[in-house]
Amino acid sequence: MKELAGYLPCIGEEEVETKILTFQKNGKSIEVEVPLLTTEQMNKVIETVKKASTDILKSFSTSEIVTIIDRAIERLLDRNSLYRQKAEELLPIVTGYDEEIIRLGLTAYLKTFRKHELQRFLVEDLGNPVLLDDFQPRVKGGFSKAIGPTLITHIWSGNVPALPLWSLISGLLVKAGNIGKAPSSEPLFSSWFAHLLVEVEPRLADCFAIVWWKGGDEEREASIFEQSDVVVGYGGNASLQSLQNRMPVTTRFLPFGHKISFGVVSQSSLDSRKAWKSVHQAALDVIRYDQQGCYSPHIFYVQHGGNVSPREFARLMANELENFQRRFPRRDLSIEESVSLSSWRQKEEMTILAHPQNEILGNETNDWTVVYEEHNIHFAPSSLNRVIKVISFENIEDILSSISPHRSYLQTVGIAADPKELFEWADSLGKIGVTRITALGSMTSPEAGWHHDGRFNLLDLVNIVDIESSAKESSEQFAPYVD
Amino acid sequence: MNQQEIIQLISQFMQEEHSGEKEFNELALQLFSYQYQNNLPYRTFCMQKGKTPRMVKTWKEIPSVPINAFKEAALSCIDPDTAEAIFMTSGTTKGIRGKHYHPSLHVYDQSMVLNFKQRFMKHTDKIRMGVLFPTEKAMPNSSLAHYLALAAKEFGTENSHYLINENGIDMNHLLKELHHAEETGEPYALIGASYSFVHMLDELASMGKTFTLPKGSKILDTGGFKNQSKELELDEFYRLLSATLGVSRSDCINMYGVTELSTQFYDDGNESVPSIKTGPHWIRTRVINPLTGEEVPKGERGVLVHCDLGNFNSVTTILTEDAGIETENGFILLGRVQGTEAKGCSIAVEEFLKATKEISE
Repeated sequence: MKELAGYLPCIGEEEVETKILTFQKNGKSIEVEVPLLTTEQMNKVIETVKKASTDILKSFSTSEIVTIIDRAIERLLDRNSLYRQKAEELLPIVTGYDEEIIRLGLTAYLKTFRKHELQRFLVEDLGNPVLLDDFQPRVKGGFSKAIGPTLITHIWSGNVPALPLWSLISGLLVKAGNIGKAPSSEPLFSSWFAHLLVEVEPRLADCFAIVWWKGGDEEREASIFEQSDVVVGYGGNASLQSLQNRMPVTTRFLPFGHKISFGVVSQSSLDSRKAWKSVHQAALDVIRYDQQGCYSPHIFYVQHGGNVSPREFARLMANELENFQRRFPRRDLSIEESVSLSSWRQKEEMTILAHPQNEILGNETNDWTVVYEEHNIHFAPSSLNRVIKVISFENIEDILSSISPHRSYLQTVGIAADPKELFEWADSLGKIGVTRITALGSMTSPEAGWHHDGRFNLLDLVNIVDIESSAKESSEQFAPYVD
Repeated sequence: MNQQEIIQLISQFMQEEHSGEKEFNELALQLFSYQYQNNLPYRTFCMQKGKTPRMVKTWKEIPSVPINAFKEAALSCIDPDTAEAIFMTSGTTKGIRGKHYHPSLHVYDQSMVLNFKQRFMKHTDKIRMGVLFPTEKAMPNSSLAHYLALAAKEFGTENSHYLINENGIDMNHLLKELHHAEETGEPYALIGASYSFVHMLDELASMGKTFTLPKGSKILDTGGFKNQSKELELDEFYRLLSATLGVSRSDCINMYGVTELSTQFYDDGNESVPSIKTGPHWIRTRVINPLTGEEVPKGERGVLVHCDLGNFNSVTTILTEDAGIETENGFILLGRVQGTEAKGCSIAVEEFLKATKEISE
């Protein structure tokens, strides 16, 4: 099977070289062809996108753009549409994830980009969405308008399907020209979305591009960054650091590093009737995309004192994961991942020698692993791919101290607690660097208008232009109608 | 069975010409039962896996111990304090080195000598040797130092020498030896760490020197480059060795061994790479999927598990982190499995560890 990835604006009759990325799953294989531009071609693309961003995209009203995105998303939500069918057929092969997990994940995710959600998204960041269209009066006096950049470059990474949509849609909402570097491990979805947008609104044809190059191509990256107003980068800190080293001081760089998330379960949620539901939801957070998302849990801290003990919680979790394995089997792992998982597990098995009260639960083929630990509160990442730790605790303060040194890596916490605890714990967790608190079962699907890593999705992209009240007042004396 | 009896059994077994599956299996199971009884951490490990001597029917079912366990536990059937030799791994994680306890080196030495004779010396009894590695005295806990010292003692002529001093390779001495070989026509063997050969090649290249060593000369390298020298592609490494010293690539033998074993593997030269490694009849290797422990289909990549009957005091069966492919009579060694980078945007263990290290520093 062959599939073309990438999207290019019209840069004239050009032969474009391509690179073939091959993906395999269960004997099915697919070759994805991504465009690999020369420096000259890349510069033409940049020029074209910048021009279209200024001439075309900026002439649309925000609500027109919202409507276009909504129409494109509507097509992707329709299981009979071409792109949706392609996504359901090809993404499991490309990413390795279970088909059903992808189908459900896509729907849950795409729903957050419908018209009303996008409106909320805009209000959330800007207060007044028309701020992107026209100067709006300010309470303090004067007027302001939000101006999107001419060009945003997105460096995407990772195999979580459709993840690039976040920043691409944010870029479109602020009327910026966008160039995206498709992630090598899932280059398709962003490309399809670009084509779909142009099908919905052909006037957008030159407003964006989806391309590919090999990460670390210093010369190319330096040249692109030089010509961008904003660069949004995803990846590990080492690669982000190397991007930053090539960033001109005049280009705004928004790095989104790899993150670690976890869950906290209060004893108040652990009565015999409600506990199984919490466990079920928590297990769902584990199996969705096999914990590869920044919002995916590595650890569940479970409080002593409920009817269901932390140890029982771990055993119930094991049970759930075994059930899920039958319905939604884990992605096939590479030999490297298998070794890293098995050596992680072996290390845990060794610690049992010193901590006999710990427990390691798993099936024979290591499709999932639950490690239960008592009297040993700590914070360390799981090897992922359905490997989860359950660590017992007495008071929330006990876990905070071991987590707080890792402030810059924290993101989501899934909480099961009563309302009073929820707000108290959220306050403590926020202070040590956590930026998102959500219910168990929702960890992998952030709400529309969430603050990704605690930041503003749209505000961080724009510049606000102020007309100060003095200018307005002074202009009055030059009016033709002045007396 | 006591230790003396076990040693005797293995010793006899090694001296046989060959062994069939049945004989190997029998001794492997005897050893398993002995180790299960006397090696306490190993017994705990086996019990955790639900494997007791009563249930294990073939050597393939003997629980394999991950090499990292040698860092965590004293895997020994005797009191570790009474060991004659302790070999330690060079790679350290957080400053902890894996330890392999040998109550006596009788079995280790016998294994090495029989195997080295057959695979490296072949029809030669003695050869003038140069050793590109520090002495046993300088590195008392290095199994490789012991191995090379034994090679020189058993198979080197009395004019064999160490060519490493405190400043690295003793180039003057090395040049003298190489010239001597060229002039006299006496075959010469260079044996040592792979990375030392890389340093030697660099030095010789900067001097612009090449040699044509006499027929019968040979080279044995081992251990890979371990960040101690630049990383050469295997093909490039053997091409340079052969071109610089005038030894045919089929006489450049690579030994694959680890501290946690008592037996080594060799190839039959490196005309083409990666070469096929094989061991003597007292060690057997399986190529497995580390998640299931099942053997992977022949020809597919997997992780190596060795069952070494020479390991009478620790554990016979170890799970390495080396990738390989099973072949008709041995395996292709593909090198250590590298850690994985994050697939998605969740942090990977290695990136986290690196960051934590930075925090604590």
